[in-house]
Amino acid sequence: MSESNFEEVIHEIIFDSPAGEIKEVYDSLITIVGENSKDTLLNVIEQYNVKNNIPIDVDGNKVLLSENNKDGASRYFDPIIGVSFTVDHLNRKGLDVETHQAKGFTDDHKKLYQSILDYTVNAYPGNVTIAVYPITEESTEEATKLEIIISSTKYNPGNFWNGDWRSKYIYDIASKQLTGNIDVQIHYYEDGNVSFKSNKKIEENSVNDVLNTISTIEKGFENSLDVSFTELNEKQFKSLRRRLPITRSKINWGKAIGNYRLGKDAAEGA
Amino acid sequence: MSSDDKYDSALDLLRRLDPTKLKTNLQNLISLEPSMAEDLLSSIDLPLTIKQDPKASNREFLCCDYNRDMDSHRSPWSNDYYPQLTADDLAESPFPSEKLRELEIICNDSFDVYRDLYYEGGVSSVYLWDLDEESDFAGVVLFKKSNSSSSNWDSIHVIEVTNSGNGDYNYKVTTTIILQLDSNATSELKLSGNLTRQTERDFRVDTNKEDQLRIAHITNLGTLIEDIESQMRDMLETVYFEKTRDIFHQNKNSLISRNESEKSAQAEIVKGLQNL
Repeated sequence: MSESNFEEVIHEIIFDSPAGEIKEVYDSLITIVGENSKDTLLNVIEQYNVKNNIPIDVDGNKVLLSENNKDGASRYFDPIIGVSFTVDHLNRKGLDVETHQAKGFTDDHKKLYQSILDYTVNAYPGNVTIAVYPITEESTEEATKLEIIISSTKYNPGNFWNGDWRSKYIYDIASKQLTGNIDVQIHYYEDGNVSFKSNKKIEENSVNDVLNTISTIEKGFENSLDVSFTELNEKQFKSLRRRLPITRSKINWGKAIGNYRLGKDAAEGA
Repeated sequence: MSSDDKYDSALDLLRRLDPTKLKTNLQNLISLEPSMAEDLLSSIDLPLTIKQDPKASNREFLCCDYNRDMDSHRSPWSNDYYPQLTADDLAESPFPSEKLRELEIICNDSFDVYRDLYYEGGVSSVYLWDLDEESDFAGVVLFKKSNSSSSNWDSIHVIEVTNSGNGDYNYKVTTTIILQLDSNATSELKLSGNLTRQTERDFRVDTNKEDQLRIAHITNLGTLIEDIESQMRDMLETVYFEKTRDIFHQNKNSLISRNESEKSAQAEIVKGLQNL
């Protein structure tokens, strides 16, 4: 296999993994491809962590990774605690922590951060990490957009399940447009492999109250998923296989089983 | 690393990666380590495919690795391979012995009635093959049902029947049900995957007559598979609609506060400890 094909396959496998199981996926992949490919795997895991806004433990504080809190090639920053750091991407830990002042991050942005944090307390029972990152204009160093991310995870590998919620938005300060998407993934893998995935694209115009808009969207999405669950069960699942046969009793196996067919033909007047 | 370690790691990966992309993931893993191909292909159940049997009024039959030879599949209706194989290839192709084929015909007939009663549609197929001991055999019982949207149910029961002497027969069944549900509502939603379980049961068969023995086997297999499918249907309903929904609300819930959820997490730990 060529090197580029190899990387493509590794990329596809890692990007298909549930966020709570990257370590296990890494261990299994290393067993198959060998320690020599370690750097390729870790490189892909870094891309995965940034793309999926994975929370990193930085001296006890959780910080979400994103394209918008990069500080140079391999450092990331957090405007709230005012640090920058490098990342051990496999173990999700911040290293080489230094003080750092984020460009364009104002007191208003800090207030928004706090209000979103307050909102999550009553809406997200999982392990919550949030971020508000300024996206600045190079010439003025002022934020023209904000990236807002809410991550809520609940991992329970002992009972073979892991769950992730991630909603991320870009708020354009001048045009007042809010765009983004919500991703949900639940993985249940006791005696099998069951995956529940859902996502929704968001686009709202004339948004004055960012928090209120987000909380309304997220509540609506949550309610629509509850409706979908019920519909999938009531309509689709039940139409695939009955709990009991049409006759409402278990089958009388053996020589006489053909009688069911005779009975059916007679009933249909065949 | 030994080839066993690699194979175990591949199985571990396949239960973590997206079950709807099982085929792609399987191909990717094989491309990383081609020596695992045979073991993986024979142990991983992929969704069943459907072909038509031109010798049986184009009646549909199910295809999987168990009735495959090269790129052709044996139909349970005509006992022929499609697409047709050359005479040379056919001489090497697996067929059940004449005696076992008689049982295979009865099994296909009976499970077709079962399919009609429980699935009200869909396709069923049973394939049997001989084992070393003459009175033993193995096989696979398959059901597939799709509905108008993109939802699919595939049942794969791999069976092994061994004569343990004195008229006792042991029936071993490994069942995998692949269930895919797609919502066509406004928000994109996919609920899909597979569950597997193994069941074993002994039955006494008090006859040496071939025709009575056949009836005994289909009665025992039928009863067993009917029980397993009923239990697994309940299990699927619990996992798909209660478990995943409950986990979702442990991440996002507008109705309860975090304190309450911590209480329930604590209750779960206590419960876990009690089960030790």
